[in-house]
Amino acid sequence: MPTITIDGKSLEVAKGTTLLEAAQQLGVYIPRYCYHPKLSIAGNCRMCLVEVEKAPKLMTACSTEAFEGMVVHTASDRVKAARRDVLEYLLINHPLDCPICDQAGECGLQDYYMDYSLAKSRFSQADKVRRQKRRAVGPQLVLDNERCILCTRCVRFCSEVTKTSELCVVERGDHSFIDLKEGKALDNDYTLNIADICPVGAFTSRDFRFKQRVWFLKKTPTVCLGCATGCLIEAHHNENTIYRLVPRPNAETNTWLCDPGRLTYKAVQAGDRLVKGVIKNGLIDLEPALREAAARIDEARAAVAVLGSPWLSVEDNAALALLAKDALKTGNYCFDFNTEQGIKDGILINKDPAPNTNGVKLVKAAHGGLSLEELSRRITSGQVKVVLAEARAAGFIKDALKAAAPRLIAFASNRGEIPAGSYATLPYASYFEVPGTFLNYQGLRRRTAPSVEAPEGVKPLWAVINKLAAYSGTSLRLDSADEALKGVRS
Amino acid sequence: MENILLKDNVAEIEAYFAAGGYKPLKKALGLKPAEVIDEVKKSNLRGRGGAGFPCGLKWSFIPRDLEGPRYLVCNADEGEPGTFKDRELMLRNPHALLEGMAIAGYAIGAGHGYIYIRGEFAAETGVLDKAIAAARAKGFIGKNILGSGFNFEIFTHRGAGAYICGEETALLESLEGFTGQPRLKPPFPAIKGLFGSPTVINNVETLAAVPSIIEKGGDWYAAIGSGKSAGTKLFCVSGPVSRPGVYELPLGAPLRDLLEKNCGGMKPGRKLKAVIPGGSSTPVLTAEEAKAVKLDYESLAAAGSMLGSGAVIVIDESQCMVKLLQVLARFYHHESCGQCTPCREGCGWIEKLLNRFEEGRASRGDIDTLYSVADGMLGRTICPLADAMAMPVMSFVKKFRGEFEAHADGKICKGVRS
Repeated sequence: MPTITIDGKSLEVAKGTTLLEAAQQLGVYIPRYCYHPKLSIAGNCRMCLVEVEKAPKLMTACSTEAFEGMVVHTASDRVKAARRDVLEYLLINHPLDCPICDQAGECGLQDYYMDYSLAKSRFSQADKVRRQKRRAVGPQLVLDNERCILCTRCVRFCSEVTKTSELCVVERGDHSFIDLKEGKALDNDYTLNIADICPVGAFTSRDFRFKQRVWFLKKTPTVCLGCATGCLIEAHHNENTIYRLVPRPNAETNTWLCDPGRLTYKAVQAGDRLVKGVIKNGLIDLEPALREAAARIDEARAAVAVLGSPWLSVEDNAALALLAKDALKTGNYCFDFNTEQGIKDGILINKDPAPNTNGVKLVKAAHGGLSLEELSRRITSGQVKVVLAEARAAGFIKDALKAAAPRLIAFASNRGEIPAGSYATLPYASYFEVPGTFLNYQGLRRRTAPSVEAPEGVKPLWAVINKLAAYSGTSLRLDSADEALKGVRS
Repeated sequence: MENILLKDNVAEIEAYFAAGGYKPLKKALGLKPAEVIDEVKKSNLRGRGGAGFPCGLKWSFIPRDLEGPRYLVCNADEGEPGTFKDRELMLRNPHALLEGMAIAGYAIGAGHGYIYIRGEFAAETGVLDKAIAAARAKGFIGKNILGSGFNFEIFTHRGAGAYICGEETALLESLEGFTGQPRLKPPFPAIKGLFGSPTVINNVETLAAVPSIIEKGGDWYAAIGSGKSAGTKLFCVSGPVSRPGVYELPLGAPLRDLLEKNCGGMKPGRKLKAVIPGGSSTPVLTAEEAKAVKLDYESLAAAGSMLGSGAVIVIDESQCMVKLLQVLARFYHHESCGQCTPCREGCGWIEKLLNRFEEGRASRGDIDTLYSVADGMLGRTICPLADAMAMPVMSFVKKFRGEFEAHADGKICKGVRS
């Protein structure tokens, strides 16, 4: 356990700790471009040079291991000069097209220039090396080689994280540039991470480009519901519109975020977003739709079946359980989902596409219910007249629905989700709009936080259920999502 | 004194053997590896590729008790502008290199030796391949060498034309089939080198000196030369001297003697202006400095330059220092691998600045910019290529500032002959 001194402060670090990591432990920030905690060390950007007493040259903090008695200076004149020089070198051939660059506002060159340089360039504009400007390099990314600082984070990401090795550096010296390997496209499930780790505007997201200046974005920490992995994310939004999702790196689950997960926000503001009810195929206002659905429920009562859903929060599943048990007093309800779980690609994407299979188990533990097979059997037998189900969960019983054709009252947030043959469909608020509790495949409890407001009139599902109960002549008396959780182990 | 390295009529194995060749190998195989290393340590032989690192010490860094293979690599990627000594040595005395490699391989416990040879050296590769085949036929390399139980194979590998592959870790990358870019150190090659195994990389001239050291003893070798600079060194002289070429001299010989006695002085009508003493990357010496300096590691360091590869580039008064530096800058700009920011961007910037001087577009302020761009590169990169660019720039500007000013002021070049 070597003890070292950084900027006058001593600390003991584990053997093998680098100077950059040690400084971080002390709260001393050392600027870096090529270093990334989850990638191999390249040591090429030279931004993290620090002064180590008795060493003749400045050392790269990212690669130099701490040894007993080392005395390190991270803000000496020599270090400051080196940083200023590196920034000047990086900027001479940079196009300085910040006004039209998406990275502006979160750019490593801009930020460090303000922090460590502020020097006037001595380089002639006419002498700049020109490189290839924007070009699509895959379904999600655009590459601008002229903005690139050749830190090779992208190359290392593709070879070390996704192990797909689409990228390489070609040519030499100041003519070298990042390129696709022969015959490859940057088309794996994690390419948008490259836009995140690119410290400059070389790789930008095709989805996000030119949509919003980053300084206008508000950031809400929430959870990705793209699969059972339940990655922690941050939703970036402005004026009630979400513009992108980025990972919130954490030790438990994720450093990165997959491309499908990043695009889950699209459904919230998609053209087929449901803001009205649907009866058969016709859109009608929410209130009449609710009343129509409630009337069918009232007709059937004990012949109603209720199906929970691993795509819904614990609260909303609990509300569905209460509707069946307390309000309708039917035994035909099911919270029995057992999809196999686990990371299927060795990185993040889960075998279970639903985010809350484990959360529904809590509801089942509290309220019991039928197995999926038994529910299907009862529906197929014709004793069930009306089925209430979340649109995607209805897929679990689709054979039974087809066989017996009961009236299906579905809950859906987008028109594209509505199951074929649905009698009534009721919209509900997305979990980007309302909070909800989810248990990921590791059993970790995670809550979504609202980033934007639901469309006018669209309510959280527990409130829709509450209304359905009232309109069908029964009562749940739920005033909040939490009230639905009564009896559910927290 | 008699040459140790550059000998005539020993290129064929019979002649080499008749002159006592491969006896040192037999002698070495009768010693313990550690004893061979001790003998080389005693000789004070230092790396002849440019850095001058003690050879025996380098060999002793190879871990003794580690499982798995170790490798010996001969750096024959002679690329430093002005340097053409290894080429001559390989053509004239290839078996000294092979014998030196076999001895080194035995000392460090390597079973394989690679000669990474500059791609342009097609003829030299042919000579080496022929020599390897001959030595193998005689049992000097291959399985169970001279009945000792020691196995050692040697392979040649031609480079693909990058100066940077003369840097030992870029060489290893290239030898492994990757882009020739220097590795971040540590780990050093002695711990993690070729294919991740402990590796010694020695210059051609270093390895070729080993057989004589084993034959005559480390003390004998250490007595040649001066002080810590032991033995003889090949100097390749280019420029307007009467007899440019490769000369073998004991270290510590005066540069003046090399130029006047060996090279026959300046060509008629030419006056000495400056000397780059150790290959294009070493700081330039003025005529006065050159006349006073001795050719050994310490003396040249004291004079503010380096012994380097022993490439003595003679510059006469008819040459323009700005133009000369522009040529060097074009080379380093072209050869920078592009990994490290200061080198990648700085080399190009320097060339562009020098273009401005040459094209009459520079101001006096550009002289200071030139100097500080070079200063910002010095010692701040993974490998010494940035230094190799920075050192000539800084020394040229310091010692011949007047010529840069003349370019900036008069927009004319006073140095160049019409």
